[in-house]
Amino acid sequence: MKHFFRYFFLLLGVCFSATVFAQSGTFKLPAYEKTVLKNGLTIYLMEQHEVPTITLSAVMPAGAIYDKTQNGLATMTASALMTGTARMTKSKLEEELDFIGASVDAYASKESAGLSARFASKDRDKVLGIVRDVLLTPTFDEKEFEKEKALLIAGLEQAKESPRNVIGNYFDQLSYGSHVYANPESGKVSTVTKLTAADARRFYRSNYIPNGSAIALVGDFNTREMKVKLESLFGAWVKGTVPTNLANAAVQPPTSAKVLLVNKSDAKETTFIIGGPGVPRSNPDYVAMEVVNTVFGGRFTSWLNDELRVNTGLTYGANSSFSRLKHAGTFRISTFTATKNTEAAMDTAIKVLNKLHTTGIDEKTLTSAKNYVKGGLPPRYETSGQLAGLLTSMFWYGFDESFINNFQKNVDELTVAKAKEIVQKYYPKNNLQFIMVGNAEAIRKIAAKYGTVTEVNIKDDSVKTF
Amino acid sequence: MKKVLSLFLLISTQLGAQTKADDVKTFTLKNGMKFLVLEDASIPNANMYLFYKVGSRNEHPGITGLSHFFEHMMFNGAKKYGPKQFDQVMEYNGGSNNAYTTNDVTVYTNWFPASSMEVIFDLEADRISSLSIDSVMVQSERGVVISERSTGLENSPWRLLSENIEATSFQEGAYHWPVIGYEPDIKNWTKEDLEYYFRTYYAPNNCVVVMSGAIKFDAVKAMAEKYLERIPAQPAPKPVHLLETPQTGERRITVQKDVSAPYLGIGYRVPNAKSDDYFALDILSSILTNGNSSRLYSALVDKKQLASNIFTSFSATFDENLFGILASTNRGKKAEDLEKAIYEELEKIRKDGITANELQKVKNQKLIEFYNQIETINGKSNNIGTYEVFFGDYRRMFDAPALYNKVTVDDIKRVANQYFKKSTRTVGIVETNVED
Repeated sequence: MKHFFRYFFLLLGVCFSATVFAQSGTFKLPAYEKTVLKNGLTIYLMEQHEVPTITLSAVMPAGAIYDKTQNGLATMTASALMTGTARMTKSKLEEELDFIGASVDAYASKESAGLSARFASKDRDKVLGIVRDVLLTPTFDEKEFEKEKALLIAGLEQAKESPRNVIGNYFDQLSYGSHVYANPESGKVSTVTKLTAADARRFYRSNYIPNGSAIALVGDFNTREMKVKLESLFGAWVKGTVPTNLANAAVQPPTSAKVLLVNKSDAKETTFIIGGPGVPRSNPDYVAMEVVNTVFGGRFTSWLNDELRVNTGLTYGANSSFSRLKHAGTFRISTFTATKNTEAAMDTAIKVLNKLHTTGIDEKTLTSAKNYVKGGLPPRYETSGQLAGLLTSMFWYGFDESFINNFQKNVDELTVAKAKEIVQKYYPKNNLQFIMVGNAEAIRKIAAKYGTVTEVNIKDDSVKTF
Repeated sequence: MKKVLSLFLLISTQLGAQTKADDVKTFTLKNGMKFLVLEDASIPNANMYLFYKVGSRNEHPGITGLSHFFEHMMFNGAKKYGPKQFDQVMEYNGGSNNAYTTNDVTVYTNWFPASSMEVIFDLEADRISSLSIDSVMVQSERGVVISERSTGLENSPWRLLSENIEATSFQEGAYHWPVIGYEPDIKNWTKEDLEYYFRTYYAPNNCVVVMSGAIKFDAVKAMAEKYLERIPAQPAPKPVHLLETPQTGERRITVQKDVSAPYLGIGYRVPNAKSDDYFALDILSSILTNGNSSRLYSALVDKKQLASNIFTSFSATFDENLFGILASTNRGKKAEDLEKAIYEELEKIRKDGITANELQKVKNQKLIEFYNQIETINGKSNNIGTYEVFFGDYRRMFDAPALYNKVTVDDIKRVANQYFKKSTRTVGIVETNVED
């Protein structure tokens, strides 16, 4: 492969209509209908008839930020939803769905839990009935819970075999400290081991509530009929108390440069992140930041990839991205290199960051990035799954179609001067935070060059709090 | 496209029945370069997929990995657009690209706003007609590819496992070495090796181009003639002569790596994509591991809890290939017990076959898979090209529904007996503690 570049727009949640966009040249979200049921459940419906399928995306206030000390509880609760309902055992449920080629998956992320389903439109009654049962009448069978738990633990242990799979968790730990955004999405072996079906049932009762949740359907259906169907399916979902938001506490910005060195004694390369604080999803400079980041580390010809890959051959790929949550965010540069090149690659990444601050972005480069951002958007919002994801993002982060409909304008309005402001305001310069996963024996001295070093082993269950 | 596809609603069991092969229009330039074009204005973008019939099977020890390395070099400068300019110009025009190499083919993918189509033709014509192989770029690209190889192995035991199984099952044939190549070869090939490769394999007559999106057939044809027709055809490459000899006994391989639990893989020799058994084997692959109700997932992950993961690997290839069953052992369980339990499940199918219900399930799943593939213009191009190159005719994509539907429960039992044999299997294990 030439490159596996990070799709930074996955976080963007922007959509361009498959249908409206084609001729007009202006970006408009296709028509959709938003309804709030009496129990507070928000429903989004958008018809797309290109293929006879439907995609459903649901979002609930049930992510890892609500785990408290029971890391992994949100993830285990979400997986346990699929292990049996009042009407069907786990195996019956799976047989029914598999037989019609339908998929239903439940999962928890950092802030929210999600359920996604994809199925042929002719099977909508059957699948929506199952989705209703999964969300409203899960049984949390103890035996099935223990089996799921064993699989999660096996997965957590396997993840430690791959630096790429775990480095993000370490970075969140370092960036967010004691804030709930530091909670690892899938938990830790020690905490998951202790979880019980009763814990999941309790978490389910407090966090899977219609008010505070949304369900979006995109695909081949009639809006009016679907609305009636959903009201009858989900109208009986009992309203609850929206859980206290634990994420709006302030995140403490770093006051010194820190390095978290994660020892993987058999590593042949060093996988690293250099980063700092970012911004929440609601930041008004969203679009401008994405264009600037395209230049810095968001595409193949970006300065980071050009310097670390094309000019020096130090790595297969280097990129940068802003990760935005509801109340805070992070910025990171990510790459990897052979152990012996660790210092050269890290110094080069810092050099490129400094160049961004000192040199700035010229007119031609900015134009190129604007064209790239605009040209790359439609295919990212082409499928019903992408559109359904967008609608639940709109709900969760509280933005609407004006964000999308003004996107092109916002890209076009970005000037060289404004780009300079964006760099100064949002790209860290001092007190950089480093995660290095590699053979500590070989890179310990190098790590000390960049800040105060804390060393852990990749096999350790958890890292220290910073 | 949009209207035609919505007719699926009416007859949903006939997979793909309503997408007509005639929607794909085709022409061949005088130099032998074949184009397949699908007009689809659902988004204002388009793509160009170039399938070159060259992959690691065209290599030999000493230049292993050269096809993949060449894929990288195609981005490093030609006559009109020098080093870096291919990407710079494409991105300036709102486009992006990638490429991939397999045992059999090298595929270049360009995605762009439909209004930038001419620039894309110009860029492609430049590199196909007059690539320049710059020694400095070759040197820095070696580092990139060594990093790509290393990071793949560093982050995935699966890769280590499958490379070892392939190298053990295939001994004389060209699937013996991995696509990415051996590190010493990556460090040692010469500029002359690259130039020979370019002349031999990057000829217009060795390439199939697929384009989909908000483009018009006539415009595509005019641009292809303007930019690409002048590039001369080359003599057909020498056929690959390193073909595999039959496997006549079980082969086993153990590899040490620090892993949380052993990884196990079993590869059975199966025929290439043009075999009549291809569709039956593909269905068998889904019967075994597609979905939690599948045979192996249900028995080994859910009921016996011997595995934490299990999946099959089966794909269309030019030469005889492996049907892979890959699993990670669950905590505290033994790889040998998992292996034995897999054979027990395969034996059930060999002895008793599968049910009509199971077969229908997979056919239903194939329908949804098909919808997923054609939901995007990129899925369309990739599929059309794959069928054209691996099955010899893009029209086969439209016959595929009928070919899947033709498969019977007896066919599944027959192929299970024919191919799941101890004597043609290769078993690989990656584990922490190996015997001294």
